[in-house]
Amino acid sequence: MEDIRVIAQRTKDALARAGAQKAQYKVTMTETHEFNVDGGEFSLFRTLFDNSLSVTAYKDNKKGSAITNKLDDAAIGETIEVCLKTVESGIADEAYDFASGREPECFREGCYEPDVDKLFERTKELMEDIRIRHPKVIVEQLIVSHKKNHTLYQNTKGAEFEVFAGEYSFSIMFSAHEGEQTTSFFGCDAKTDKLDRPFIELGTVERELCDAEAQLATVPFDGKWEGVAVLTPGALASLLFSALYNFTSDSVILDKTSIWLDKLNQKVADEKLTVSIAPCDSRICCGERFTNDGFKSEDYDVIRDGVLLSYMLSLYVSNKSGYERAKNSSYSIVVEGGDTSYDDIIKNMKKGIVVGRFSGGEPGTNGDFSGSAKNSFLVEDGKIKGAVSEVMISGNLAEMLQNIVAVSKETVEDGSTVLPYIAVDKIVISGK
Amino acid sequence: MLEDFISGKKGLFATGIHTELRAQENRQRQVVLVQGNLTGNVRVETAGVSARVCKNGVYGFSSMAEGSGQAAETVLKAATENAVFMDRHVQKKKGMLPPVGRGDFPAGKVITDTEQKRYIEFVKEIDAYILDRYPKLSSRTVILSADSMEKRICTSDGYDGHVVMPRNYIYVFLNSETKAGVPVELFDVAGGFGNFDDVFREPSLVYPQIDCLYEKLMQKREGVYAEAGYKTVVLGGILPGMLAHEAVGHTVEADLVLGGSVAGPSLHKQVASEKVSLVDFAHTAFGKETPLPVRVDDEGTPAEDAVLIKDGILEGYMNNRESAEHFGVKPQGNARAYSFSDEPLIRMRNTAVLPGKDKLEDMIASVDDGYYFTHSHNGQADMTGEFMFGVCMGYEIKNGRLGRAVLDSTISGVAFEMLKTVDMVSDEVIWASSGFCGKKQPMPVGMGGPALRCKVMIGGR
Repeated sequence: MEDIRVIAQRTKDALARAGAQKAQYKVTMTETHEFNVDGGEFSLFRTLFDNSLSVTAYKDNKKGSAITNKLDDAAIGETIEVCLKTVESGIADEAYDFASGREPECFREGCYEPDVDKLFERTKELMEDIRIRHPKVIVEQLIVSHKKNHTLYQNTKGAEFEVFAGEYSFSIMFSAHEGEQTTSFFGCDAKTDKLDRPFIELGTVERELCDAEAQLATVPFDGKWEGVAVLTPGALASLLFSALYNFTSDSVILDKTSIWLDKLNQKVADEKLTVSIAPCDSRICCGERFTNDGFKSEDYDVIRDGVLLSYMLSLYVSNKSGYERAKNSSYSIVVEGGDTSYDDIIKNMKKGIVVGRFSGGEPGTNGDFSGSAKNSFLVEDGKIKGAVSEVMISGNLAEMLQNIVAVSKETVEDGSTVLPYIAVDKIVISGK
Repeated sequence: MLEDFISGKKGLFATGIHTELRAQENRQRQVVLVQGNLTGNVRVETAGVSARVCKNGVYGFSSMAEGSGQAAETVLKAATENAVFMDRHVQKKKGMLPPVGRGDFPAGKVITDTEQKRYIEFVKEIDAYILDRYPKLSSRTVILSADSMEKRICTSDGYDGHVVMPRNYIYVFLNSETKAGVPVELFDVAGGFGNFDDVFREPSLVYPQIDCLYEKLMQKREGVYAEAGYKTVVLGGILPGMLAHEAVGHTVEADLVLGGSVAGPSLHKQVASEKVSLVDFAHTAFGKETPLPVRVDDEGTPAEDAVLIKDGILEGYMNNRESAEHFGVKPQGNARAYSFSDEPLIRMRNTAVLPGKDKLEDMIASVDDGYYFTHSHNGQADMTGEFMFGVCMGYEIKNGRLGRAVLDSTISGVAFEMLKTVDMVSDEVIWASSGFCGKKQPMPVGMGGPALRCKVMIGGR
């Protein structure tokens, strides 16, 4: 394979020849090593070599993009030709733009070269740990991989970022079984740049394995009431992601359907909540280093002490709406821990549930959500009474953020996010 | 057309070892208009070659983003080395997979690539129609999404094939507000299998669907919250198809059965009322081509229908060659890969509940107090068959008559319990094919079914 800079130079030359007035382009070379376990047994070892050339060109205030994974001369020429045709078919809009740059920047993130033998050993060790410590658990699928990316971004306004990044990641899905009794599936993911700890100690793996076994015996649950739900980091991640997407993202600000429109610098959540988007945080593995618009990524707060400080906007929607662009384009969500221990949160509950996983319909633009509270536990008089199944919860995302009663001291770091347990009141909880 | 640079490499396949070599190209084209602003205008091509080698029951796989004979040789060598690594460490000591016959499936279609300008003009016309006809909407989004995959497959001990699957869809999202100023949204999708000009001859043919969508949105903005609890409902529209795919289909994929799904101990047992039968169709259903026809899979197995539930009894699973050997059955062509760099997994093709004899209007008339749900925007299920569907359009049924529309809600249940409550099945199957099924890799799938009267949990307010 040719040098990444040679490919970038050819792309730049081809863009100029084709008549692009402005352009940004990114070349990525990827190598992946991956082990798969299916039904509890090793099944597959994959080695993948892939590339990507992503080009966005601009002409007469029109914009278009083309992406290919072929990097030979002919393919680059063809891609640029397609890209320019796409541009010319577009609609002129003065808001299309990208960053200007000064000095090229280079980042080296994570563990660039894999230790494949060690990765295999850690995978075997995880399977063995589960077999010994959680004999009722069947691993449906485990995917363990190392991915290395070499990326070069350049644009015609002088910005350049080069990133060498390598990370190990795993994703596991499992359930517990006893006779014909089967629990719902549990799943967790984690990313790391080191293989110094057994995988069972990363993220929420051990806790979820324990929860899976506890779910084999459920306590009866019926009726319907409004009460407190403790969102585990897994459940919080999906609901918080929906809230941020539904209220702060490009599409809802551009079409003005966000219910947080014109609420910058106003209180939108309980003061115990601060939500940062922090790809540069040391607890995030190989976080974003430059944005889709060619800016250097910086951490920022969307909500600080309950006050909305920023939308999550691209430069385009920033230009269209007049609101500031976000300082990065990632979803590396960091919510710092609060001042109440998880045990005290449970002790302080009269009646409610701990929600292990939220499986719900995509919340509407108004923030209404409803769905199944999977892998959940009933809490009564400050104690966990047992596992429950077929429980549904509903509420409104915006109201939920206003009704936070506690944020745990403990946080879970899985390499992609940092999240605590959060107790929220006024959630409608219903059984069969 | 994708060049054939792999069939000449069959001589490099090792004797006595199952080998697959696949060249593949995927294309995506997207145009997104939000309130008339062009926020997406992109064309994507990914192509390459991959090999998978099975040695004594474990697999090695490798892929490269190059379309050449040399790249084919490189991935064959790397996949073999990976299989040897796995065999050395895992030692499953399994023999060769049973044969599936030999032959060749030529492509039944040629992909024609539509220019971006044509896509954009088409989408602009639809957007202009909505703006002109319905100016009081709070927002509108029109998305054109076209994707295609073309594969050449060579196998050591199965069929070879040239697979072509183009799809074209237009999504329309309309937003309005309730009297209280709360946003409400509804979307619909038009399109299907085929090249763009086969599927969309002119924008005006989509307008009736948009008019219908607008009418439903106006009903929804006057809507009420569904009442939470366990209710009798009529599931119509796409929902029975989602049930077939998400809640039942995944639990009877043999890899998930081996991973502990509820279908393991349920084989040959009653899992649904006798009114329910369910089939994963390969390429032909009810005398017509299925929404996304599959004639050969990526392991070289000819595709045929997989009967999953017959008259309420769980009859079988969907398999790849390895799991078919495990369960002692014939593989039916369910092993498919999404991209050149993906290995074949057990996937559904066109999964549908078979139609019954009831009329939809009789089914609605038979419900005293319940709901008729018609549209969904997402769904999930797990290995227990516990499912959840987000419902974005539906109506109350009071004393056998349709009442007010309902706002977004969620329905849930456990498939093999819920299906036992099915007591009426309509005589008309509705198919959908625009989505991707997510299971490590995305995959285009078709799903369908008739309206079902049954009992589900509703997660209203």
